[in-house]
Amino acid sequence: MYNYTAFDKDFVTTRAEQFRDQVQRRIDGSLTEDEFRPQRLMNGLYLLLHAYMLRVAIPYGTLNSRQMRALADIADRWDKGYAHFSTRQNVQFHWPKLQDVPDILKALAAVDMHAIQTSGACIRSVTADHFAGATADELADPRPTAELVRQWSTDHPEFAFLPRKFKVAVTGSLHDRAVTKFHDIGLRLVQNANGAPGYEVSVGGGLGRTPMIGQVLRDFLYQADLLPYLEAILQVYNQIGRRDNKYKARIKITLHEHGLEDIRQRVEANFALQRGRFNGADQDILTRIEADFRPPAFKSASIHHFEAQRAQDPFFKAFTNTNLHPHKNPDYAIVTVSLKAHGATPGDAGSAQMRALADIAARWSHNELRVSHEQNIVLPHVHKADLPEVYESLRLAGLATANIGLISDLIACPGMDYCDLATARSTNVAQGIAQKFDALKREHIIGPLKLKISGCINACGHHHVGHIGILGLEKGGIESYQITLGGDGTENAAIGKRIGPGFSADEIVPAIERLIRAYLAHRQTADEAFLTTYRRLGPAPFKAAVYPEKEPKNEL
Amino acid sequence: MSFENPNLSRSAHVAALNKRFKNTDTVDMLREIMADPGFGKLALVSSFGADSVVLLDMVANINRALPIIFIDTEMLFHQTLTYQRKLAKDLGLQDMRRILPAREAVLERDFDNLMHRSDTAACCALRKTEPLARALAEFGGWISGRKRYQGGARAAMELFELDAEQRIKINPLAHWSREDLAAYITAHGLPRHPLVTKGYKSIGCASCTTPSGTVENERAGRWRGQNKTECGIHIGEAARSVIVTDEGFTDEDWADGFHSFDTMPTQESPALAIDLQSDFSAEDLLPWIAKIDLIRVDFPVFSDGRGFSLACQLRLLGFVGRLRAKGHIVADQYAMARRSGFDEIEIDHALARRQPERVWQTCANWRARDYQNLLRQSA
Amino acid sequence: MTLKPALHILTANDLLSGEVVYLTKSGAWSPRHASANIFVEGSLAAKRLAEIERSDISVVGPYLAVVKTSGTQPVAPEHFREVFRAAGPSNRFIGKQTHV
Repeated sequence: MYNYTAFDKDFVTTRAEQFRDQVQRRIDGSLTEDEFRPQRLMNGLYLLLHAYMLRVAIPYGTLNSRQMRALADIADRWDKGYAHFSTRQNVQFHWPKLQDVPDILKALAAVDMHAIQTSGACIRSVTADHFAGATADELADPRPTAELVRQWSTDHPEFAFLPRKFKVAVTGSLHDRAVTKFHDIGLRLVQNANGAPGYEVSVGGGLGRTPMIGQVLRDFLYQADLLPYLEAILQVYNQIGRRDNKYKARIKITLHEHGLEDIRQRVEANFALQRGRFNGADQDILTRIEADFRPPAFKSASIHHFEAQRAQDPFFKAFTNTNLHPHKNPDYAIVTVSLKAHGATPGDAGSAQMRALADIAARWSHNELRVSHEQNIVLPHVHKADLPEVYESLRLAGLATANIGLISDLIACPGMDYCDLATARSTNVAQGIAQKFDALKREHIIGPLKLKISGCINACGHHHVGHIGILGLEKGGIESYQITLGGDGTENAAIGKRIGPGFSADEIVPAIERLIRAYLAHRQTADEAFLTTYRRLGPAPFKAAVYPEKEPKNEL
Repeated sequence: MSFENPNLSRSAHVAALNKRFKNTDTVDMLREIMADPGFGKLALVSSFGADSVVLLDMVANINRALPIIFIDTEMLFHQTLTYQRKLAKDLGLQDMRRILPAREAVLERDFDNLMHRSDTAACCALRKTEPLARALAEFGGWISGRKRYQGGARAAMELFELDAEQRIKINPLAHWSREDLAAYITAHGLPRHPLVTKGYKSIGCASCTTPSGTVENERAGRWRGQNKTECGIHIGEAARSVIVTDEGFTDEDWADGFHSFDTMPTQESPALAIDLQSDFSAEDLLPWIAKIDLIRVDFPVFSDGRGFSLACQLRLLGFVGRLRAKGHIVADQYAMARRSGFDEIEIDHALARRQPERVWQTCANWRARDYQNLLRQSA
Repeated sequence: MTLKPALHILTANDLLSGEVVYLTKSGAWSPRHASANIFVEGSLAAKRLAEIERSDISVVGPYLAVVKTSGTQPVAPEHFREVFRAAGPSNRFIGKQTHV
């Protein structure tokens, strides 16, 4: 893991103190709310429906046991004993008080954490593959690049007041778990024909009101050119991105309006100027960062116990069937811990659970944890011999739900239960669906399915890329839920299509049940996943199942 | 006690006065300051306009001998002149000074009395600002009848201010509303300016005043259609910019004016400064970049970050002169501005008052904790 | 039949705690929806809102919300968003429900 330098530590500590001063100036009136808002947002502090919300950065989703414990302590001391892990690999506290936030930031700084740029019209906290550095299908670890981008974007003097927020994601695997095609900039670690390391750079992806798949701006960029190239993209965007309409201010719209070729020419011309501003110091820093991300010292042990336990304990077997992912070391496994116990709020974890996770990671996962954008916690390096004990510890903490990748492993934004932008709730739908399919004992039969719920058009619940997406809106003074089908956030990026009118809060769960029943009836084999069936058949059979009353009654 | 404290700077002195008289009744305050020798000689400057009678009446009741300065621009409504003579007589004003523009200056600069059509600013300077400056030369402070509700720069006005000459300027009616003034006039049975009944709410020169609509700003009828709200005699500290540098607040030291990009002189100029809007494309300046001494980039609102990138590009294109950010920039953006290539920031007085020098000073150490510097420094 | 004009209350979030607050008759802010002053006259409500926006720095984001009355029932929010603001999140018993 990345080790904070004295510079990093000083930076986050000072930032916390600066924010203390800003809070004071807001309270005494020398900063207006209009002037204070961007300052608090740049420090992750929102004002939502019921209270302030502090969004703490977990850059590229990586944290250690000590940091997880500190988060648990914050939850107990300054919040209501729990935290919410978000779809951006961050963690949110939903009840802090304004005067306490400087103390919270100080407590975070003490464990090399911060809430910088988790909000605001700036370059946001960078995200990456949550299996980075562990997964068997990886070409190169994306985290050193992500950390370099974090440092470069932190407090960047030019890009704190962009037309709109700006998100960067990095992946180093063939299989894209970082949703890079739906970020303002998506970076894929690649090699050129001569084996030199570099990046494929995509721009203009995004969800929200106008979902768009990112387009490749450069199919190969030398590693050393990364920062000047990013600088060029951002400078072009900062100057020509629209500021007259916030719904047209993201770079995806700039790209759409100017065209890929025009943007490419501007970026390349700017890049030629920017290159001279870097002289290799950034690459020296990257080398140092890479050293920090060397794999831990993996141990050798027999995995016999693991196999034996699987044969003996059907619950353990079910857990290992769903919640494990292949590790680059075949004796190891990546464990995904579900924060989607049936009926719970997706992404929420109590402070006791957070401490349990910290302890388990310290003992069995080389002190490391990850937060996935699917709102789960990952133990990246668990030796298979230790899995029975890990499972038992998770079970005792109420964290052994065996549903990863299944319908109840759905993701949902906080929705109108917390968010001031939301047009409808999302957690109630999430709870309803999870409980419904748990009661039916069907979800293992249904198999891999990504269901994603957003409580408004801004799409924090990523509904556009759900195999099944649900979007909560307001229609005529009540909550109304629209269904989209066929979305995909991976390397086969696709945007889900709406299948018809929305459903009320009471009707949406039965509608999803009809949809799933149609899938089970139409799939060719038990192995054909929902998305495959949908791609084979298109929306017609699903529409017919979801809207049975729409069938014409008396055709002449 | 005296108001002059040699240990206080002029502006600290003014701040102390504002604090001291914050809750004092207007007449009591006038009585105290008119009796205080610490101000030096005081005068009341009056336009004998729509509401002037209120302050004239108050002052006359305290001391009829106080010098009253009335600037006759020779462009006034004849009703104003009649009204002035009537009030001076009714109120028994003993030191009425009617000040005219300098004869030879008028002959030289506005011989046909039509300058107001082509250049109102120059006309105001000739007929109001310069004569007033002459008339005030012997005084240590002056009293003015401006009100905050009149809007514009006046909305932020304090009871006591410093004028451009560092003279103390007293605005006893700053906090009065239009209704307060009307009530005073009625209660004391005072005569009104004859044009008030014709819809004029603020009365200046006949050439540049029209009636104001009922929902308009009271001074909307002054210099109608122009981006001008003050003649110049009231442009004191409130309208002066503050320049922020690493050392703190300083006064403007650039005296040679600013050109827009479109009106930039093409021939060699000894001191050339230009104003750029935040959406300006830096490359367009490339042919002239070496000839410019100062570039001022406008920040219409602090959340518009284009100016930071523009500054960076100007530096990248080789601009080595003074680079200034002007407008709505808050102290918390100081480091961003300096790191992007700006040398200094120009803010208005109201912002400087809300975010005083000490706040900016806490942000002055912009070189510290800079990731960019770390990533770009030579190995 | 004439359309009944909308009844308004004035609401905001408290600057320090972030909690949802309502303007009461006395001009103070209360966390209780039931304590909110009901403005029958829209113009008066708008005027109070403008005053608060201008001069009250103890709250953030003040706005007018519509309420409804029905028979002897206490005044209730018109919009479901305001129902959640008045009560707290529906997925956890953790907000105002616990103390108001």
